[in-house]
Amino acid sequence: MTASLSAEPVKAVSRVELAFGRLKKIPSAYIAFWIVCLICLIALMSAVGVPLSAYSFDQATEDLLVGPSMKHLMGTDELGRDLFARVIYGSRLSIAIGFVTAGVAFVLGTTYGAISGYCGGKIDTILMRGVDIAYSLPDLLVMILVGVLIGKGTFGILFALGLVSWMGTARLVRAQMLQLKEEEFVEAAKAAGQDGLTIVLKHLLPNAMGPIIVALTFTVPSAILSESTLSFIGLGLSAPECSWGTLASDGWRSLRSYPHLLGFPSLFIFMTVLSFNCLGDGLRDVLDPRTRLFKG
Amino acid sequence: MLALLVKRMLSSIPVLLVVATLTFFLMRAVPGGPFDADKNLPPAIVANLNAKYQLDKPVAQQYFIYLSRLAKGDLGISYKYVNRTVQDILAEAVPVSFQLGFSALLLAVIIGIPLGTLAAVNRGSWLDVTAMFLSTAGISVPGFVIGAFLIFVFGIWLKVLPVALWETPWHMILPALTLAFSPAAYLARLTRASVLEVLEKDWVRTARSKGLSRWSTVMKHTLRNALVPVATVLGPLTAILITGSFVVEYLYAIPGMGRFFVTAVTNRDYDLIMGTTLVFAAILIVTNAIVDVVYQVLDPRMKVEG
Repeated sequence: MTASLSAEPVKAVSRVELAFGRLKKIPSAYIAFWIVCLICLIALMSAVGVPLSAYSFDQATEDLLVGPSMKHLMGTDELGRDLFARVIYGSRLSIAIGFVTAGVAFVLGTTYGAISGYCGGKIDTILMRGVDIAYSLPDLLVMILVGVLIGKGTFGILFALGLVSWMGTARLVRAQMLQLKEEEFVEAAKAAGQDGLTIVLKHLLPNAMGPIIVALTFTVPSAILSESTLSFIGLGLSAPECSWGTLASDGWRSLRSYPHLLGFPSLFIFMTVLSFNCLGDGLRDVLDPRTRLFKG
Repeated sequence: MLALLVKRMLSSIPVLLVVATLTFFLMRAVPGGPFDADKNLPPAIVANLNAKYQLDKPVAQQYFIYLSRLAKGDLGISYKYVNRTVQDILAEAVPVSFQLGFSALLLAVIIGIPLGTLAAVNRGSWLDVTAMFLSTAGISVPGFVIGAFLIFVFGIWLKVLPVALWETPWHMILPALTLAFSPAAYLARLTRASVLEVLEKDWVRTARSKGLSRWSTVMKHTLRNALVPVATVLGPLTAILITGSFVVEYLYAIPGMGRFFVTAVTNRDYDLIMGTTLVFAAILIVTNAIVDVVYQVLDPRMKVEG
């Protein structure tokens, strides 16, 4: 008994370590992994109040609209706020939105997909028909309609993002369930008298985790992109909220004279999304070589 | 083939009805009406306006009034663009969005598919690495960043292309490029993956061993099969490009559907929201139906149920 208990955690760690070891061999993904960690760390430190810049948020300086210099790495805006400080401050909301959306996609998509795939038959047909219809609507259209009607602000945008992002995961989980439930270990579990919920949670989902993690890695950047796009056209977040999207939106108005105000927030969005996409590509090769998951 | 197409379209009428119903009740479920933004309006006038547009009736009744008007082909009038019917606005905006969407689609296909094929055929070479880095970067850039960059370089810095409105073909270049950028990158990634998969098939090896040149193997035996998954995304992609140009229309002040949709939503311009949403849904349905048919032509092994 003790032997099997102590063997358990070692096995779990080795699976992650194995995947990480393989990830190390893909340079683009490995670099992307550390950039993602760095950006998340910056966002987290900013959120718990570690001052990462000489000018904390809201601390206007006397320099209005100056370009990048040694004093202000990314210049300042029309109120004299240091853009570097603003970008760091904005990262917490952008990153948080990405992760919360991935979390919602995971919970909703997995539940829906697991029910559909495990039950099969008529339930599956009806549930998947619903996903097909919803999936064929352009995300941005749905997000604008729902997000704006529910209300601007963080909740509205999270609701809208959550609404469009779970369907891919649901399809994926369903496909995995359909495939896995025919395996012999499921039959064994059934024969041992385990009920459906236990089989799904204990036997099917852990085996489907690889592709799910890959899908979620792609959900984070697409949520960050969607948020910034919505905020940019004035239908997402707006002041006093501060995300990379709202910063870019403010910068767009003065593109002609002060391009740095748009350039730096855009650069951060690009770097973050690119890193997540490269990491996702790498993870796909490592965890799930067969499936293609990106969506148009 | 035509019969199948017609059948698909007819079966989509219930879908349109569902979209109409959902949108209608979603709009009414949230607080705020079309005349809220006009501040300083005396309550009596607001009441009169609501009565004129039958907005004072119960929502369920309004719904049936709307549906019966819709059945007669009347999409209603805009509350914000005074004296303009929704038909008028759509008749102007839809062609603009189509021109923009199709030129972007064409650009995306012309750039994306050859790039992906070249990358796959030269797998592992510097060409492949460069193409794949470019396309991963391409799907990671928000549309507004591309747009702002193009505007800055060609409009403000070089001053060679117009950066706003929709008048001459010159006005179309920057918006179409902006809109095409990320689909081109996406198509390149998809084509590469698909071509790589087909290149490993037996019939490709057979063709090569029969002495066919590398390029005719690719052109004749690989691409036709590899493009099937690409063709399936082209349908949704066309729809996304025609309907999803909100950002580009915003950036370049283009009077297309996306722009009207966005302003209609912010203004609670009920009939205009309904009208644009229904047109969006109809475009989606038509393109998906066409894709299903094209899919069968490309790959007769796939028999799609009508």
